[in-house]
Amino acid sequence: MDILIYGIVNSFSLALMAIGFTLVYGISRLPNFAHGALYVITGFGVWWFIHQLHLNYVLSILFALILMGLIGAGIYRFVLIRVRGMATSEIIATYALGLAILEFLRWRGFKGMTYTLPVFIEGSIHIAGVPIDLQRIMVIAIGIVVVSFMWLFTHYNKTGLALRGMAQDEHAAMMLGIDSDRMAIIAMAIGSILAGLSAIVLLPLGNIVVEAGYNVLILSIAVCIVGGLGSWVGAILAAFMIGFVQILTVRYIQSHFHMVVALLAIILTLILRPSGLFGRQKELEERV
Amino acid sequence: MKKKWFVGLMFVLFSVSSLTLLSPPSKVNAQGKPIIIGAPLATAFLYGWVAERAIKLAVEEINAKGGVTVGKEKRPFKVEVMDTRDLEPGVPVSDALLVVEKLILEKNADFIVGGPVRSEAALAAMDLLSKYKKVSILSTGVLTPAYHKRVESEYEKFKYCFRISGEVGWMVTGEFIPCLMGIKEKFGLNKLFIMVQDVAHARGGGDLVAKFAGEKGWEIVGKEVYPTGTTDYSVGLLKARDGKAQVILIWMDMPETAILLKQWYDLKIPALPFGTIVAAAEQPGFWKATEGKGEYCMASVVNAGNAPSNATPWTMKFVEAYQKKYGLEPEGYGTSSSYMAVYVLKDAIERAGKLDSDAVVTALEKTDLMGVYGRIRFNPKNHQIIPSIDPNEGAVGTIFQWQAGKRVVVFPPKIAMGEIKLPPWLKK
Repeated sequence: MDILIYGIVNSFSLALMAIGFTLVYGISRLPNFAHGALYVITGFGVWWFIHQLHLNYVLSILFALILMGLIGAGIYRFVLIRVRGMATSEIIATYALGLAILEFLRWRGFKGMTYTLPVFIEGSIHIAGVPIDLQRIMVIAIGIVVVSFMWLFTHYNKTGLALRGMAQDEHAAMMLGIDSDRMAIIAMAIGSILAGLSAIVLLPLGNIVVEAGYNVLILSIAVCIVGGLGSWVGAILAAFMIGFVQILTVRYIQSHFHMVVALLAIILTLILRPSGLFGRQKELEERV
Repeated sequence: MKKKWFVGLMFVLFSVSSLTLLSPPSKVNAQGKPIIIGAPLATAFLYGWVAERAIKLAVEEINAKGGVTVGKEKRPFKVEVMDTRDLEPGVPVSDALLVVEKLILEKNADFIVGGPVRSEAALAAMDLLSKYKKVSILSTGVLTPAYHKRVESEYEKFKYCFRISGEVGWMVTGEFIPCLMGIKEKFGLNKLFIMVQDVAHARGGGDLVAKFAGEKGWEIVGKEVYPTGTTDYSVGLLKARDGKAQVILIWMDMPETAILLKQWYDLKIPALPFGTIVAAAEQPGFWKATEGKGEYCMASVVNAGNAPSNATPWTMKFVEAYQKKYGLEPEGYGTSSSYMAVYVLKDAIERAGKLDSDAVVTALEKTDLMGVYGRIRFNPKNHQIIPSIDPNEGAVGTIFQWQAGKRVVVFPPKIAMGEIKLPPWLKK
């Protein structure tokens, strides 16, 4: 039973981490390698709003998310727009940006275990004899809300539909009057907010550490590659696959191999099915 | 006009000399060419930054009292700290070695004090220290017995390497096992679950505790090895609960261990967290960082003086001096030992009368002084500090428990300030 419960929690954690990354790539074909750095600065941002500006928790979260949206939009408007279409340059630019942010934080002394965020609800409950803290229940609940919201947004909202249009066929969408750059800015802003949201939900379970930025990036890439780059359904499914395999590994093999699972998943996917589980476009390209 | 000018000049000279003479002794600064202490430390991590702070505190105190007497002249200490980053995940050992070499060649360090902090890096640095004949006093991080065993096996080559802090062999047999036996006797607990970080000293330490505890009647119900940087321990904790563990032995030097303790509390795992090396729990800020969820967690700070106690008359003086300068109590392993390393070096240089490495090595081997954590002497064969559970006999360690927001020393008995308590959800 603990495998089921903690497998679901771990899967939703991975889905939350990766959904922003896959959204940006799915819509604008931009690999945002600064995703992990955005995750970490959200944590430090909320901490700073609470402890330095003495704002309440909800306001701090709100301001941090708005800030993330602006940073995401800014990254596209001032950096990525100049290298758009050059895949290698996009990766280098975003990775360099992420690296600069994380190492800057480390250099400025954001280290140790002083930086923590409070849990939303204190306490724990037992489900079928398995103890679980309420913050983890919140991870599941918020994970479901975010995934549902994103589905509704992209199916019933005009901007969401335009984003989907861009994801399906950029040229056709542009012919219908959808502004590619505007959509990319929106995608980057939403992707960054989602990175921030995952940080706000997951960081109260531990500490805010710079190293988390690198881990989140690796896990997000793993989920997106296994699921098929740009495929949301694939990403959710991959999050569940990797999430459960990680928990099974910890339970029956060793905690030591926890991170290996994600890296192994990337290697196996690239060898056996390079397009991932739901990467249809790539699959078609491969067939041609 | 000339007379007025002369009177004015005399007045200025008199004022300056009076100010110099009347200023308190703490303001006296040493003259002469500085003796450079190179400190290769992982400054982003507890064991690095505490060592940096402690070395600087000792240097400041020594310089304020006139510096080091080298032969007939007084010379001040000067510290050059460089970040080895050797506690960060994925940083190769070679990076730390480059830092040590840079300190020797570019900063012209006369002595090396502090690190490297990670065992693997420190072991590799021994050859470098031997090549440049630089006396090094290791004072933080490194706990592997391989360090002093190497000195013993190739004395002529590695005689420049000393360690003034603890090592795993003694800590396990002389401190952790006796403390565990005390818990067994007092509370009737005998099931142990081991959680260690995937680094040499922790893996080795965990195995050693398992071996000796097993021989002493403890049942080892499981063992988990976590990669550096792990942020989720919930499944491992559930394994401990399912195995009916009563004590969880933790050996980790990463800051993320605070998460483990928070999760232990949130899941109300019915086992006492016995931290051997738990960098996160050592720090005074741990209580706030875990919002009090770390209560009952035990941790070793390796040497006395890293948490308040009355081990020697110097212990609380050091604690207060550190608190005055940095605004908080000594933060953990590497603080008192790095502080003492500078004083021991001063003492050895003064007895040697020169900075020559071989002469200082000979003087260090004859060190015998009462320090912050007991009597400080080195084993002349392997250059490891001589440990004890009595501060009058040797260097004493410290195991404390978090109780109501305070680090209460519970072991060894000679310096204990309180008794071990069990979490309420563990009591039968």
